[in-house]
Amino acid sequence: MPVVTPESIELKVRPRVCTLSADDEFCQTVVRAQWRSPRDESLCLLIVGQPHIKHCWERHSKGTYSVELTFSEDLLVELRDPELRDVLASEAVKVIREALRLRYRRRQPWSIFY
Amino acid sequence: MRPLLPSLLLLSIGMLLSEAAAAQTRCKSPSPECVAVGEWDISVSLGAGGRTNPIRGNSDIPLIVIPQISYYGERFFLDSLELGFTLHENDTHTFNLVATPGYDRVFFFSNDLQNLFVRGAGGLVLTGELIEGSDDVRAVPVPRRHTTYLVGPEWIFRYGRLIGQLDGLYEATGRHHGHEVRAAVATPIIASKDSLVMSLGLTFKSAELVRYYYGIEGLYEPGSALNPFLKLGYSRPVSERVGFNAFVHYEFLDDSVSDSPLVSSSGVATVFAGWVFKIL
Repeated sequence: MPVVTPESIELKVRPRVCTLSADDEFCQTVVRAQWRSPRDESLCLLIVGQPHIKHCWERHSKGTYSVELTFSEDLLVELRDPELRDVLASEAVKVIREALRLRYRRRQPWSIFY
Repeated sequence: MRPLLPSLLLLSIGMLLSEAAAAQTRCKSPSPECVAVGEWDISVSLGAGGRTNPIRGNSDIPLIVIPQISYYGERFFLDSLELGFTLHENDTHTFNLVATPGYDRVFFFSNDLQNLFVRGAGGLVLTGELIEGSDDVRAVPVPRRHTTYLVGPEWIFRYGRLIGQLDGLYEATGRHHGHEVRAAVATPIIASKDSLVMSLGLTFKSAELVRYYYGIEGLYEPGSALNPFLKLGYSRPVSERVGFNAFVHYEFLDDSVSDSPLVSSSGVATVFAGWVFKIL
């Protein structure tokens, strides 16, 4: 569910989830953020833990931003006011790790296949 | 189906003992002892070795290429020529139902599945072989020995550094209706980057099974056999996909097997050393 602030800024982030297989350490994907508001807003998009990502709009009622990112933990996308003080909306990309399940291998001392 | 009874008894005893957990080891990361569930493991060993052939007149079996394929699901598993279903597994005990080939057949045919990638010297078929006695010579037709599969319960237990295995198997392919009990214990002697594992075991073969492979109707009708064996296996990973493996295996043949006119030795030695390449 997108976060809707009292000011009705709606933020959608895709993908919602990144699933890592047992062999993967990182998610590497294009993250697309889309927001809209019933009135013009001046705000900035930030991603927690990715200080090089900052994209701002001035007096817009909607905006889209895409960026290719590599991350290993949940990614939090935030819309903040131009002074970066207040969070106006936020949405997360969840990282789900596929657990590696292990079981015992049989021994076959009777076989030539070890 | 009477021969299944001892197998079921073995399974029941194993189930009763399953709560008596001893020192435990846990599968925490992939290793030669632990495999990832749901993943295929395909590799091929290239090297040099062979298995002596105790059958009179048949060539030893060279081992040059040994393919290995395995898949372990949540319960189902396939490991080279053996497949099975796991009824219960914890860190101390595993109870499986398994299907496994009869290993005696490799001595009779070069096109046995176990020799499929192991180039035989040819001429292993014994049909029509002359059997020579001490004071007379008779031509005795020796019927073909077919591929057999045995099925039954298996109990594996892990106690400290010891791993034990007990299989109660019944021939299910309708060739001789015999049964076989396989029992072995294994323990690592070296368990670091290098791995050296010693296995000791016994194979009990019922009279029906021994007669099918080593008997001659009207001439030699043996009873059951108990064959002990010893195996040493060494492995060392070189990289993620390449390793070095070697093993030595010696099986002592019971008198009921080695006394057969078809058999010319009292044991079977298998040695192999080579590189293992992981394909998948």
